[in-house]
Amino acid sequence: MKKTRWRLFLLAAALLPSSVLAATVTVLVQETTLRKRAQFFALASGTAKLGQTFEASGPSGGWYKTDSGYIHQSAVATKKIRLGSGESVGGTATAEEVTLAGKGFNAQVEKSYGAKNASANFSAVNAMERRAVSDSALRDFLRAGGLIPAGDSQ
Amino acid sequence: MKNLPRLAPVALLLAGCAGLDRLDVSALSGGYITDSQARSLTRAATALRKGVEDISESEEYYIGRSVAAQILGKYKPLDDPGLNLYAQKVAQAVSLASERPALFQGYHVQVLDTDEVNAFAAPGGFIFVTKAMLKLVKDEDELACVMAHEVAHIAKKHGLKTIQTSRLTSAFAILGSEAVKSYTPQQISQLTAAFEGAVDDVVNKLVVNGYSRDKEYEADRFAAQYAKDANYDPGALKRFLERMAQASSSGGGVFKTHPDARKRVDELGALLPSADHRRSSERAKRFSAAVSL
Repeated sequence: MKKTRWRLFLLAAALLPSSVLAATVTVLVQETTLRKRAQFFALASGTAKLGQTFEASGPSGGWYKTDSGYIHQSAVATKKIRLGSGESVGGTATAEEVTLAGKGFNAQVEKSYGAKNASANFSAVNAMERRAVSDSALRDFLRAGGLIPAGDSQ
Repeated sequence: MKNLPRLAPVALLLAGCAGLDRLDVSALSGGYITDSQARSLTRAATALRKGVEDISESEEYYIGRSVAAQILGKYKPLDDPGLNLYAQKVAQAVSLASERPALFQGYHVQVLDTDEVNAFAAPGGFIFVTKAMLKLVKDEDELACVMAHEVAHIAKKHGLKTIQTSRLTSAFAILGSEAVKSYTPQQISQLTAAFEGAVDDVVNKLVVNGYSRDKEYEADRFAAQYAKDANYDPGALKRFLERMAQASSSGGGVFKTHPDARKRVDELGALLPSADHRRSSERAKRFSAAVSL
């Protein structure tokens, strides 16, 4: 009986997907909040910026757990991203790597596009982007509207 | 020796961890990358990047900004800070229930000052809804469903999928030969041409032709799910579409670019709210205060 239990345990350990155990995640958005719990309205434990990496476990329910707090999976990539010494990485770069390098369609291309397209109203887009709703303001909005329970932020 | 079987599971677990894809971040400092690393990354970008799925988060954002700039060149933004902020809060609320709550620069909403009934979602999180569309919306739960439909177009990358692959392959080819942080005038000219084509593809689809019926039905299905998961009433989507069907005689805008609202209602199955859904007098009060058009 004891032997069978050991065999089952060994089998389970071997079959357990390694990605559930641990991974290195890289932030692919400009900025995102690390949280004390795996929930959007949990208290913040820090801020993560584009290109930062974390050793993480998960994801579970859409969240990775890091030593600095929980981070949502839509803000990070777990793909292999190689940042070497400056030499070619042998034709294996990906979209994630292009984001980190700030290349591709970027601000320089947008500036050139804007110069050719006078009808494009970038100042209105900038004004639109300046309108920001903080975490706490959104939490208050949802709580007041009965969309999250009162006190659901610890 | 007797302890060996006991250590075996641990060894297996460790072996699994060691086999993971790990980042070589030895040269990274403080979460930023150097010019040299950027060169390394972009030299090789051509090899793997082939189509829409390979557009990066930051590129999606810049395409979306230019699509948004075209829309805001065509339609006047409504100068109503209270309404714009309210619409943005509702959109952000439902976006948290989507597959992509975190975008490169987040979600942003702008109400457009036009009598055309319409709403658009540009890639990268830019959402537009017209004043005339808001006049058809009767409560916050309906507004949440309208916003959730636009969030679904962004989360499912419907806008990006309208870009012709040839534009991307030519842009990726230019990128592949690039070795410095800034482009040469010739390269920027070629890249801008590809970028311009990509932006035009998306604008034409959003404003002129509209998405396919399948994509609109898919956005409706996910909108109902996001609304439900955000504790709004997903049934509000049907109520809104039924009202839109009544108003559809006016012809342009959303009536031209979207499938018939009655068919959209038929495509939606039974829509029940979550167990945590609550009616709220505060939602009714703030909707009336913000949406007084």
